[in-house]
Amino acid sequence: MIFALLLAQQNPWPVWLDSPTADRLFYKSAPYNWNIDRIPAFARDMYATGVGHAMAYEALVRGQAATLETKTFRDIDWVLHHPPKFPVDEGAISPTFGRRYGALEKVFDWAHTLHFQVIDVFMHPGWTDQQKEQEVDRLWVNYKSQPYAITGLPMNMELLDSQPYSGYFRSHYPKVNALFWGYHWLQTVNYDMLFRVSTKDQASQYPFVFDQYHKTELYKTDRPFMPMTAEQSPRFAKRFPEIANSFDNLHMLHDNVNDILASPGMSNLERDRQVKIAIARVLESQHATEFSGGGEPKTLHDHRHPDGLPGMGMMKGADEHSMYMAGMGWMDMATCSHCSIPLNDGPLWGATVSADGWTMSVRCPMCARDMASETPGRAIIRAATEDPNRVLILISDDEGNWTSNIPGVMFLEKFGEHPSCSEWSRAFTSLEALKRFQSTSAEYKDATPLNLVEWSKLNHGKPDTYRRIDKPNPYGNGDAR
Amino acid sequence: MNTFAKLALVSSLTLGIVTMASAHEGECPYCKLKLVQNTKDQDNEVVVKFGNKRIEYRCVWCVVKDAGRYKNDLVVYAPSEKVGEPVVLKRTDGKWSAPANTVFLNTFKKHVDCCAQARAFATKDGFDKYVAAQKLDGAKPYSLDEFVTMVAKPDKGGQ
Repeated sequence: MIFALLLAQQNPWPVWLDSPTADRLFYKSAPYNWNIDRIPAFARDMYATGVGHAMAYEALVRGQAATLETKTFRDIDWVLHHPPKFPVDEGAISPTFGRRYGALEKVFDWAHTLHFQVIDVFMHPGWTDQQKEQEVDRLWVNYKSQPYAITGLPMNMELLDSQPYSGYFRSHYPKVNALFWGYHWLQTVNYDMLFRVSTKDQASQYPFVFDQYHKTELYKTDRPFMPMTAEQSPRFAKRFPEIANSFDNLHMLHDNVNDILASPGMSNLERDRQVKIAIARVLESQHATEFSGGGEPKTLHDHRHPDGLPGMGMMKGADEHSMYMAGMGWMDMATCSHCSIPLNDGPLWGATVSADGWTMSVRCPMCARDMASETPGRAIIRAATEDPNRVLILISDDEGNWTSNIPGVMFLEKFGEHPSCSEWSRAFTSLEALKRFQSTSAEYKDATPLNLVEWSKLNHGKPDTYRRIDKPNPYGNGDAR
Repeated sequence: MNTFAKLALVSSLTLGIVTMASAHEGECPYCKLKLVQNTKDQDNEVVVKFGNKRIEYRCVWCVVKDAGRYKNDLVVYAPSEKVGEPVVLKRTDGKWSAPANTVFLNTFKKHVDCCAQARAFATKDGFDKYVAAQKLDGAKPYSLDEFVTMVAKPDKGGQ
């Protein structure tokens, strides 16, 4: 006991990190567990992510780093093309890693359990959105009550990624790193696919996500930074900022561990120590008395976040008003990505556009459509309707022809000034709903209702209100774009 | 419009710290360099239209080079020597066409110069004036067929 206390004083990590016990936490018992299997392709892709991580870690701790970009990459890629039908016990794939880093696996497993159970809740048929959100709140409380929990506070990503070993793995093993960051893309992009979307409309989006994931995201070696939850699922991150932050902090821990295991010149003892320090940096217990939105800048206790984005820590070069997104440049996340007018809260929250691997928030259906039309390839729009319980899901083909989850969807679009675009560009679940709105609005009573085909053909080009933030890329040449 | 939105509009119109640009941080789908916006004196934005899409490219060379990714018929609005009067190219059933008298400049070595040195002109006279102003000594005017043939060769290289 005395020895344990002395150890706790000497080391900047909790005592349990030195425990060799194999105690594990498992799913909270619930009727929604394994609902992820309702979209089999999605479930299999998610199960495969664990296999890839385990294969790479096992190769690293066995001293097989030299084959990471060849044999290990091929092995992982094969799994991605032949994903398992069931979750795989990573301990069976990476026994050496598990023996040396058992405590780390507990942290990973517990966070991955949260990942999966949140998905299971959102895919649970028969529950209202309110019921689901209350359950996800309970899941978060359950998660963070355990010692292995990762903090839900926003952490300064630049600081976490500025350790002496940071960046080694991605620069020396770019193909395997791309796979890892591709996993993180899938693990974060799926929440907006599911959040407040009826279970019958969730599956129709996965072929779009599947294509982007398998054809592009897994093999993207030019990302300057890992995908962030609030970038990929802004609606989810806004509602559940703590969970979004915990996922990002988890993914950063993965990056730290990759770098520690791959960096040369470290003894095994030092690697073990650095892994424990990296874990401790992001544990909930290490930040228990701290709060979101404050803290000393660029320290371990910097919990600031960009305006309007409590579900994301500060990124490299970012300030409260702007951050750099790969492929998109500098963005003010509190404003519409298309017209630069501040985003709305409440029932008319606007829409999101997903295309080419990114997802951005916009103020209205028109901004969403015109932004999607300027991007090659398929796209998904998720938009508010007059019914707060029905999210419009539009999926386009390569030509910008849209299909809708609401067969009778109608649009109001009486083009005017962009600062009021969310008033004159709206989506309705039916013609009757649109006419009800018109009957209460003198300004729009004469506007012609547009069906999906008519609305799809419109395009108002570049908004005159759009302003680009002109600052240099903080990642320098790291962003090959 | 709410007060916050009005304030945002006023501030965004009056602050000089930012510049007009495409709807998002525009980069050319082919060469990945930033799109070049129109100026008062010269159009630069090349727009490809098909279906309900309108995609911007950095130059007409990038459009033709990247056109293989699109199965549809295409309409290309290529900036010309006259502001607001683009040369309209079409690809119909896989065959490119352009108005009579259209000529092309194609002298860039790296894509950083493609916007300025791969352009369409409605007339040979417009080409000559541009080449003289840009001091592109020895630049030749190419027909559409010649231009398309040149673009079909391997990319000119880096950025």
